[in-house]
Amino acid sequence: MNSPDVVMRGAGLHKRYRLGKDNFVNALRGANVEITAGEMVAIMGPSGSGKSTIMHIMGCLDRPDQGEIWLDGKRVDRLGGGELNRIRSREIGFIFQGFNLIPTLSALENISLAAEYAGASRREAMRKAAQALADVGLAGWAGHRPSELSGGQQQRVAIARALVNAPSMVLGDEPTGDLDTGTSREIMSMMRHINQDTGTTFVLVTHNPEVAAVCARIIYMRDGLVVEGDPGQAPGGSSAQG
Amino acid sequence: MRIIRNVFRRKLRASLTIFGITIGVFALVVMGAMAEKITLLVDGGTRYFSDKVTVSASSMHGFGAGPLSVNKLQELETIDDVALASADITMTLEKEQGASFGMPSLVIGSDLRGIERESFSVSFRDGRDLEAGDAGKAVVGSDLVRRMDAQVGNTITVRDREFEVVGIMEKTFTMPDNSIFIPFLDAQEIFYHDNLPEIVRTHIDMREITTGITLYPEEGVDPDELAERIKEMMPEYDIVGPARFEEQVTSATRIFTTIVFGVAIISLLVGGLSVINTMTMSVFERTREIGIRKSLGASHGRIIRQFLSESAVIGLIGGISGLLLGWLFIVVANSLGDASGTVVFLLTPRLAVGSVAFAFFLGILSGLYPSWRAARMNPVEALRYE
Repeated sequence: MNSPDVVMRGAGLHKRYRLGKDNFVNALRGANVEITAGEMVAIMGPSGSGKSTIMHIMGCLDRPDQGEIWLDGKRVDRLGGGELNRIRSREIGFIFQGFNLIPTLSALENISLAAEYAGASRREAMRKAAQALADVGLAGWAGHRPSELSGGQQQRVAIARALVNAPSMVLGDEPTGDLDTGTSREIMSMMRHINQDTGTTFVLVTHNPEVAAVCARIIYMRDGLVVEGDPGQAPGGSSAQG
Repeated sequence: MRIIRNVFRRKLRASLTIFGITIGVFALVVMGAMAEKITLLVDGGTRYFSDKVTVSASSMHGFGAGPLSVNKLQELETIDDVALASADITMTLEKEQGASFGMPSLVIGSDLRGIERESFSVSFRDGRDLEAGDAGKAVVGSDLVRRMDAQVGNTITVRDREFEVVGIMEKTFTMPDNSIFIPFLDAQEIFYHDNLPEIVRTHIDMREITTGITLYPEEGVDPDELAERIKEMMPEYDIVGPARFEEQVTSATRIFTTIVFGVAIISLLVGGLSVINTMTMSVFERTREIGIRKSLGASHGRIIRQFLSESAVIGLIGGISGLLLGWLFIVVANSLGDASGTVVFLLTPRLAVGSVAFAFFLGILSGLYPSWRAARMNPVEALRYE
C-alpha cells in the first residue's frame, strides 16, 4: 500500500471545527498528501485553506474526522492518546512561528526536555541536547534562557529541539514568520543543509515565497484541499462536505 | 530545581499561597503542641492511677462531708484486699486560685506511707526526695524551678511560709512537673489555716485533716473492683479507680483535642483552597507551555506529575516554614511561661513530622484537579493560546 520511501501519507482527510453553536468551519474537505523520505516540502495556500490543520494532523497533534494517516507504513489516525504521544516524541519534530520555547528553561533544558519525553534518562538527554545545540552553532549558549537569546538564536534552539530525537519528519509552521529577512534566510539555509546532510524530511507551512523557494517541492492548498503539487493524484474536490 | 523555578515564577502569588499554608501549619503545630502537653499530662495521670484507688471528700456533698480525716486510714486498711492506705493534702499553690490557662500549680504533702509501694517513679535532677521526719523542706517540680527561683539549699516561699529546697525533680511531662512537694505535717498546717473557714476550724483537729487517701490494693487485686466495693461501703466519698479516672479525663481531653484540631484543620483547608486557586491560575497562564510540552510528546502522566510536584513543593515549603514558625513560638511562649510556672506547649516529634506530612499531602491533594485539567488540554488549542 505504501512504497517504502513514503514517510507520510494522508488520504481523504476531513476535519471540521466548531466555532460557535451552529457555526462550523470545514478546515479539510478530503485532502490527500504524500511525503517522501528525505524531501523538503513547502505547503502554501491562502489563510483558511487548511495548511495548519493538515500540519497538525500530519504531526499527530490532532485526528482527522475522516480519512487515513499513515506514518512510516503504519496507520496512526485511530491510535490512542498515549500512542500518539509516543509517536510525537520520537517520530516528529515541531518548529513553530513563535519559537515556542519554555521561558523558564535554559536553551539546553528546552532541548533535553524533548529527549526526556522520548524516553532518554536525564543524563543522556542532556548529552544529546548539548550535541544538538552544538550542531546549530549555539554550544556557548546552553545556559541562556529564551529571553536572553535573539529571535534567530531562539529558532535555532527550536530546530535543535526538533532534531534531538532524529525524527522521521520535521514539521514547521511558518518557521520564519517572526524573523527578519536576513535571519529568515539564515534559518532556511540551515534547514536546507540539515535536510541535505542528514536526509531529515522537512515539511514547512508558509506564506513566504522565499521560504518555499528553498524547498524542492511545493504543495498548494485551497478550501481544505490539496490542489497542486501532490504527486500522482488529482484534487478530490467532489468530496467536499458542507 | 526546575520545580522550584516554576513555583516562583510568580513570586508574590507563590509566596502568599505558601504563607497561607504556613499559617495553617503554624496553627496546627501550636494547638497540637497544647493538645500533646495535655495528652501527656493525662497519660501520666492514667499511669499514676493505674494501680490504686483514691478516696476524697465528695464534691457532690459540697463541704458537708468536710475534709477527710486521717482516722479513716485504719478503717480503710481493714477492708479486704487493701494493703496500705496513705494520706495526702493537695492544694493549689496560689491561695486564691483564679481562672488559669492549663492546670494550676499544686502543693502536695504526703504522709509517705505509700512510698515503698508507689510504682510511679520520679527521678531527681538534683538533691533528694522528701523523707519521713523532714520539716520545712520542699521538693520542686521541673516547671516551677524558674518561677520559684529554686535551687537545692535555697529557701523558697510557699503560701507565705519558708521552705528549704532539698530536691529538684526531672521532667516527667505530667503533673509532678507543676507541683511542689512538702512534708505532710507542714501541708496540714497550711491547709488548716489557709483553706478552712473559721467555723470549720473550731470543730476539727489540725492533725486529723487530709484531702485525699490513696489505697494500694493487695497483689493481684483489681483496683476497679476494689473501688466499686468501697464505693458501696462509703457512698459519701468520691472513690476513683483507674477506670473512673480514665473515663473522667478522656471525655474532657477528647473535647479539647477535637476543638484544637478542628480549628487547625479549618485553617489548613483554607490554605489548601488557596493552593487549588494558585495552581489553577498557573495552569491557565501556562496553557501555551502545556501545548508545547504536549507537542513534544509529553504524556498525561508527565504533565500531571509536573503540576503535582509543584503543588507538593508549595505544601512542603509551607509546612516546613509553618513548623519553624510554630517551633519558634513554642520556644518563646514556654520560656515566658517557665517564669510563671505554666508550660503549656509540647512539640513532640510525631506532631512535627505529622504537620509537615499533612501540608505535603494537602499540596498534592490540592494539585490534583489543576493538573488533571492541564493534562487533558487539547494540544492544538493550547498552542494557539496567546
